[in-house]
Amino acid sequence: MPAWLRGLVPVLIAIAVLAVLQLLLGHLPFFVYLASIVGVNVILAVSLNIVNGMTGQFSIGHAGFMAVGAYTAGKLSFLLKDVAIAGLPAVVSDQVQFLGTLLAGGAAAAICGFIVGLPSLRLRGDYLAIVTLGFGEIIRVIVQNMEVFGRALGLSGIPQTSSLFAVWFCVFLVVLVARRIVGSTHGRSLWAIREDEVAAEAMGVNTTGYKVRAFVISSFFAGVAGGLFAHFVPIINPGSFTFVKSIEVVVMVVLGGLGSTTGAIVAAVILTLLPEALRTLFLQLGGLGAGVSLAQKVDQIRMPVYGILLVVLMLVRPQGLFGTREVWDLLPRWIPRARKGLT
Amino acid sequence: MSECLLQASQVGIDFGGLRALRGFDLEVRNGDLKGLIGPNGAGKTTAFNLLTGVYVPTHGEIRMCGERVNGRPPHQINHLGLARTFQNIRLFRVLSALDNVRVACLSEARPLFPRERIAALRRRAGGSSPVASMMDALNNYVDWWRALLLTPGFQEEEQEITRRADELLAVMGLSHRRNEEARNLPYGEQRRLEIARALGTRPRVLLLDEPAAGMNTREKADLMVLIRQLRDQFSLGILVIEHDMKLVMGICEDITVLDHGVTIARGAPEGVRQDPKVIEAYLGDSYLAAHGMPVPPSPSNSTSETPAP
Amino acid sequence: MSDFAQHLINGVAAGTIYALVALGYTMVYGVLKLINFAHGDVMMVGTFLGYGVAQKLGYEHQSSLWGVLAIFLAAMAACAVMGFLMERFAYRPLRDKPRLTALITAIGISFTLSYGFQLDFGPLPGAAPRAFPEIIAPREWLIIGDRAVVIWNWQVISLAIAIGLMLILQALVYRTRFGRAMRAVSFDHRTAALMGIPVDRIIALTFMLGSALAAGAGILYAIKDTAIQPLMGLYVGLKAFVAAVIGGIGNVPGAVVGGLLLGLVEEFVVGYSSSSWRDAVAFGFLIVVLLVRPGGLFGRVAAEKV
Repeated sequence: MPAWLRGLVPVLIAIAVLAVLQLLLGHLPFFVYLASIVGVNVILAVSLNIVNGMTGQFSIGHAGFMAVGAYTAGKLSFLLKDVAIAGLPAVVSDQVQFLGTLLAGGAAAAICGFIVGLPSLRLRGDYLAIVTLGFGEIIRVIVQNMEVFGRALGLSGIPQTSSLFAVWFCVFLVVLVARRIVGSTHGRSLWAIREDEVAAEAMGVNTTGYKVRAFVISSFFAGVAGGLFAHFVPIINPGSFTFVKSIEVVVMVVLGGLGSTTGAIVAAVILTLLPEALRTLFLQLGGLGAGVSLAQKVDQIRMPVYGILLVVLMLVRPQGLFGTREVWDLLPRWIPRARKGLT
Repeated sequence: MSECLLQASQVGIDFGGLRALRGFDLEVRNGDLKGLIGPNGAGKTTAFNLLTGVYVPTHGEIRMCGERVNGRPPHQINHLGLARTFQNIRLFRVLSALDNVRVACLSEARPLFPRERIAALRRRAGGSSPVASMMDALNNYVDWWRALLLTPGFQEEEQEITRRADELLAVMGLSHRRNEEARNLPYGEQRRLEIARALGTRPRVLLLDEPAAGMNTREKADLMVLIRQLRDQFSLGILVIEHDMKLVMGICEDITVLDHGVTIARGAPEGVRQDPKVIEAYLGDSYLAAHGMPVPPSPSNSTSETPAP
Repeated sequence: MSDFAQHLINGVAAGTIYALVALGYTMVYGVLKLINFAHGDVMMVGTFLGYGVAQKLGYEHQSSLWGVLAIFLAAMAACAVMGFLMERFAYRPLRDKPRLTALITAIGISFTLSYGFQLDFGPLPGAAPRAFPEIIAPREWLIIGDRAVVIWNWQVISLAIAIGLMLILQALVYRTRFGRAMRAVSFDHRTAALMGIPVDRIIALTFMLGSALAAGAGILYAIKDTAIQPLMGLYVGLKAFVAAVIGGIGNVPGAVVGGLLLGLVEEFVVGYSSSSWRDAVAFGFLIVVLLVRPGGLFGRVAAEKV
């Protein structure tokens, strides 16, 4: 095998595995929907972890970047609905367009990330938190004020071209990117910034540049997550991308352990499925009337619970579930380890 | 005579009315081993922070390899060949010893835009040039892609970085700590790891901020030998801030003495030791008292005292 | 022209409220270098407490001076206690941990309060906006021309209260032993402790003071806008924080100027374009300030100690 191809081996394997899964499970609508929701949240958590965990900055506006991706990709798809690429079968043409809009959504979010990140990441301290929060609000206000984005009603009628394969391939990509960053000189520089910015700068690390690049990558994937989201939910509106959504992602990252990619994945899966499971459970248990009201209670109470969870975690276990370690670091010694980025 | 690498002329800085350093002159050439001493609060670390770009001087000029570096960010000054250690050890605590050094070992691959060209652009613009920054950023983005795609060139480079880092750990006698987290190393080894890390950036001038602080007598003796050895092996110019007079007098060929931000003496160790101003400021009553030594009846008598063991 | 004058007056009125809340952010940031995200939510809780007291007193339209005073004092005292508890049990245990931990805690508290108050069981108010009773019956205080410019009595009263509180604070910080201790703690709390300054008590007092100011500001805000709801803390608080950053965080006069400036800018944007852009203005302004003058108008970016 040529050497330049070796880096792509995991990608090929992932394509094969996901294709099989798509064939086996792709026709179960509820499962696909749930898996897609989980997948989008995993992408959000893993990408946010690149900034909040590995680099030690604190962004709390990830939903804003997700919104940028969702609206960009969704609007593009909507406009291209009746356009087909000549010479290709309809399905293929749709998927190519879908891929294109995803990339556009990611790129739009990345550009926003650059614009937001550059002024705030030059500074030490907690400015990024405020600016990203503000960015989320600006996006919300813009969307609510512009007819093209459907104002408060949102966009509907976006072609539902997403699939189990598409979502989980993106999940795979973001995890691969996160792992490869950690395993490279860039990842080490990010950790160095997290540990001691002054020392990193003195050792020749362009701290601002690194922070901005980490933030841009993170924003890109948030945009992709948004793009995916727009293609499997019936409608996107500003209500899907509020501060609450941002905090939900922050909670996933903090709970999983700032800096742990697998931790972010585990936490994202738990925090997505748990409320769903509780809701379903109450609906099953309580009959129609009481069940619905209980299910609504779950939805309402989720948010203060997130807040309390953050406070309690910081007081009791600030490193989260995994700290900076990965799941396989916790396995018994005799199990062979995955290649570790940081020795 | 070798070229002057690091040069500070009439450098000063004000902190809200307080002039922490003024009229500071210094030259470090290849092969130099110079010392910077003075009582607490004399401005030694401030001088280091000015030289390395952590603070921007309000007066004077600093040149590194002939280039004016006032106001440049620290990483750019480091790229010109200036590295340092910190008085209050600032290692990357959760990274392993090896990774601490690897962070400093910059990638040496051939970038899209050659580094010399970027440096030349900056020189011509007198510091910051948007075009140069853009090229730098593009270089970096390309670099990220190589890491993400795991290209063969990138892998070779990683191996090369690891090899160099291992070499530096060996030089500093830290090979056995390679995979341990920096925060778990004993104090003396942490100080040595800081030096290894600084060497990773391929410096031409090395600034050591109290490298012997907290070490016992034997470790200090070893360190003296080591510092000399580093200078020769890596052909460096070295500037040491040190409290331990024996160490400074033992290894430095030229000493600058600061007091209250002002240079009060400069020259060979013997001369400095006998300079009445130094004795008054540095070896005066308070210094001796602070170090638990008998205070002589009058400062003039203390000339014969051997400075701090 | 009269339009302009009216906007100017409204802007100043809104700005004084931002300024009062901004003072709390700036004081806490000064002593702890912590953005107390929950500060806006303390304001919200204070406003709801004031609302509760007003309900108990049976105010709908008319009120007595003593009643108004009671509402203010009750809310401010309760919030001072809340600020104390927050500092004691959430922030103090984290004081020597990385700054990120305290920031996350603050975000957590903020989130808990603003969404916890939206639940509707027990004494919690629920998400629906409530009408705050008009404890100061609105009257035109000054009419210029043919009703071209109107200054309302509550605008004058809230401006007077705000200025009064700021003057007291200024005197407290620069004229008293407490103020001197506070400034010492802000400079370096470890050294301050070595100098015999009771650092814990100073920080707790700073939190109490900031929280009480926030409660006062919240009630003034409610008098102005009359509708109160649990999310108001998040939005007003964030804008106040932006005001503090614009003025230079950690700087007391800066917070006041920043607040007034933000109030004016918002009012003019709303007046001359559309009210739906109001919420985007503050953050756009913030990004511009960070780009152009990252230390704020009166502050400067402090070099980190090495």
